[in-house]
Amino acid sequence: MIGYILLAILALALISYVIGRYRAVASVGGRQYELHSRPSYHGTFVAAWVGIPAVLLVLVWITLQGPVIDRLLLWSLPLGTTDGMDQGQIGLLLSEIKSVAAGNIFGEPSLVVEDAAERYLRWQTIARSAMVVAVLCVALLGFVLTNARISPTFRARHGTERVLTGLMIACSLIAILTTLGIVLSLLIEALRFFERVSPLEFFFGLNWEPQIPIREGQVTAGGSFGAIPVFAGTLLISFIAMLVAVPIGLYSAIYLTEYAHPRLRATIKPIMELLAGIPTVVYGFFAVLTVAPAVRSFGETVGIPIAPNSAFAAGAVMGIMIIPFISSFSDDAIAAVPQSMRDGSYAMGATKGETITKVLLPAALPGIMGGILLAVSRAIGETMIVVMAAGIIATLTANPFEPVTTVTVQIVTLLIGDQEFDNPKTLAAFALGLVLFVVTLILNVIALHIVRKYREKYE
Amino acid sequence: MEAKVEARPVVNVQAPVVREEQGAMAAEQHELKMTARDVNLWYGEKQALFDVSLDIFDRQVTALIGPSGCGKSTFIRCLNRMNDVIEGCRIKGDIRLDGENIYAADIDPVQLRARVGMVFQKPNPFPKSIYENVAYGPRIHGLAHSKSELDDIVVKSLMRAGLYEEVKDRLSESGTGLSGGQQQRLCIARAISVNPEVLLMDEPCSALDPIATARIESLMEELKETFCIVIVTHSMQQAARVSQRTAFFHLGKLVEVGDTTTMFTNPSDTRTQDYITGRFG
Repeated sequence: MIGYILLAILALALISYVIGRYRAVASVGGRQYELHSRPSYHGTFVAAWVGIPAVLLVLVWITLQGPVIDRLLLWSLPLGTTDGMDQGQIGLLLSEIKSVAAGNIFGEPSLVVEDAAERYLRWQTIARSAMVVAVLCVALLGFVLTNARISPTFRARHGTERVLTGLMIACSLIAILTTLGIVLSLLIEALRFFERVSPLEFFFGLNWEPQIPIREGQVTAGGSFGAIPVFAGTLLISFIAMLVAVPIGLYSAIYLTEYAHPRLRATIKPIMELLAGIPTVVYGFFAVLTVAPAVRSFGETVGIPIAPNSAFAAGAVMGIMIIPFISSFSDDAIAAVPQSMRDGSYAMGATKGETITKVLLPAALPGIMGGILLAVSRAIGETMIVVMAAGIIATLTANPFEPVTTVTVQIVTLLIGDQEFDNPKTLAAFALGLVLFVVTLILNVIALHIVRKYREKYE
Repeated sequence: MEAKVEARPVVNVQAPVVREEQGAMAAEQHELKMTARDVNLWYGEKQALFDVSLDIFDRQVTALIGPSGCGKSTFIRCLNRMNDVIEGCRIKGDIRLDGENIYAADIDPVQLRARVGMVFQKPNPFPKSIYENVAYGPRIHGLAHSKSELDDIVVKSLMRAGLYEEVKDRLSESGTGLSGGQQQRLCIARAISVNPEVLLMDEPCSALDPIATARIESLMEELKETFCIVIVTHSMQQAARVSQRTAFFHLGKLVEVGDTTTMFTNPSDTRTQDYITGRFG
C-alpha cells in the first residue's frame, strides 16, 4: 500500500517535471536564452515541490496513524472496560483486538473485543483513503503554486539549489541524530546502572563477578562490579595486538613505498587490504582452531603452561586483523611526503636508509600515528575474535599466557539469553559500553586531529 | 637504478663549438673541475641528451641556459648522479670529477653527492627545525665529533648562506615556516654544510621574488670564491649577471659554450643568437 502511494508520488513528480519544463520553454516561445534558468531547473523545481512535501506527509501520516487509532479505539470501548488495568494490560487488550481484526482468533473473544475489531478495520480503511486524498491534495497544491511562478525571470535554479541543500542537510542530520540517539540510550541505561552500583566500585573495583541472585534464595556469588580487570584485559589484548600489527604494518608500508617495484606494490597492496575485509568471525575460527592450539603446544615443548584461551592467541590474531589499518595509513603518509624531500636528502649524500629514518618517517609520523590510534580504537572495540578466543573469567594479570576477558566479551555474555532489564547485571553491559564508546571516541578524535594537522604541513 | 655506463678514457678532448681561445683563457685562471664527454641519456625510449661535452672550471659560475625541455636540468642531475633514482634512466658517456670517472663501478653515488651538492628549483627544507636542517648533512657524514663542533658548522653554514642574522634567535623553529627566499638560502646552507667541492643549482630563483633573487645572486658571487658552481637558469639576465661561462642547450644538444660576455654579445651560432635576442624559447 505505502509502496504504491510512493510510486504514485514519484510518477506525479515526473509528470510535473515534464509539464514544468514544457511551460518554461513555452513561456518564452521557445527562445530558451531568454529564460533566467534552464528549463530543466524549472521542471526540477516543480517536481521537488510536488514530490517532497507529499513524501513527508506520508511519513508523518504512517507514524501518527497507529497511535491515533489506538487512542480512538480505547475511547470507543464501553465505559469501564479499561478500569483498573495497567499499561501492560491495556497493551495486551489492544493487541488482542488487532489480532482478531487480522483473523487470528484464539479462544472465544468477548463481544466488546469483536466490536472493537470491526471498528478497527473500518477506521483503518478510512485512514488509508484519507491519506491518499491528503497526499494528492498536497501534491496538487505544490503543483499549482509552483507552476504559477514559472516565468522567464523566475529564478528556478536558485530555488532548486535551495531544495537540494535542504535535502543534503536532512541526510547529514539523520547520521548525527542516530549517533545522538545511540549515545543517549547508552547514557540513560548506564545512569540506571550507577543508581544501583556505585561508580566508585565500577571504576576502581578489582573484582568482576556480575552473577547476582535474580530470584530470592538463589545461590550465587554476591555480585561485584569492579571493572578494572575487564579493562586491564582489554588493554592487555590490545597491547599484544599492537605489538604484532605496528612493526609488521609499518615495515611493509616502508617496503611498499620505498623499495618495491610499482608493479609489485600494485599487487601486494590490495592483497594486504584484503585482510581488512575478512569477517572477524573467520579470524575467530583461526584464533581458536589454529593459533591457540599452536601456542599451547609450543608452550608445552618449552615448558610454559599456556591456557587454551590465552590473551596472546587472541591478541596476535587481532593484530593480524589490524595490520592493514596501519600499513595502509603509513603507506599513504609516506607516499604523501613530497619527492622533493627525498631529492633533498639524496642530494646531501644520504643513503636510502638514512633518508627513510631521518626524513621520511619524521615527516610522515603524524599520519602514521593517526593510523595507529585508529587501529587501537578498532582493537579495543573488536568483539568477535575475543568472544571466540579469549576467556570469560576476569582475571587481573599481565601474563599474556593466561586467559583474560575484555569489555566487549563481557557485554556479550551479560546480554546473551533471557535477561531482566532492570537488573544491575544487565545494566552493567551499558555502563561498559558507554566507557568503551568514550574511550574509542577520544582516540578517534585525537587521531583525526593529528591526521588533519599533518595534512596542512606541506601546503 | 639502471645507470649503465660506458667508461671511456678522456682522450681527444674536443667539445663541438668550444671556442678554443676562451676555453684556454678560462683554463689559465681556473682549474678544470668537471668534464663531460659525449654524454647521452635516455628516459626509457626517449633520448634526452645527445653527445653533450662540457668543461666546468673551479671557482667560477657556469650557467646552463636554453628553452624548457632542452635537457639542461637533466644534464645538471647527471653531475651528481641524481638521475640514478629515476626509473628507466640510462646514461652513456663519461663524466669526471677531478679526473675521476663518477660513473665508475667503484664510485658510491652517496659519497659523490657529498662532494657535489645540489640546490633545487623549489625550496625543499625538511619539516624539521632550522638547526636540524643544516645539521642533517654533517650528522649523516659524521663531520662533527661533538655538539659544539656541530653548532659551529651550523652557524658557519648559515652565515655563509647569508641567513644567520635573520634566524639566529629561532634556530629551533621549523624550517618550513620561513619565507620562500629564506627557505632557499636555508637549502643552500644545508648544501654547503658538508663542504662540497661543486654546488649544482637547478633554477634556484625561479620560485622567488626579485628581492630574494638578488640576495641569492649576491650570495653566489661570494660562494664562487670557494666552490665550483653550476647553475641552470631560465633568466638570461641572471646568467649574464652571475656567470663567467655560459652553455646554451637546445633540444638535448649543447649548441654553444663560451665566455659569458662573448656568448651574450657575439654568439657564433644563430640558434644562440635567436634565443638570446628572444626570438624563441
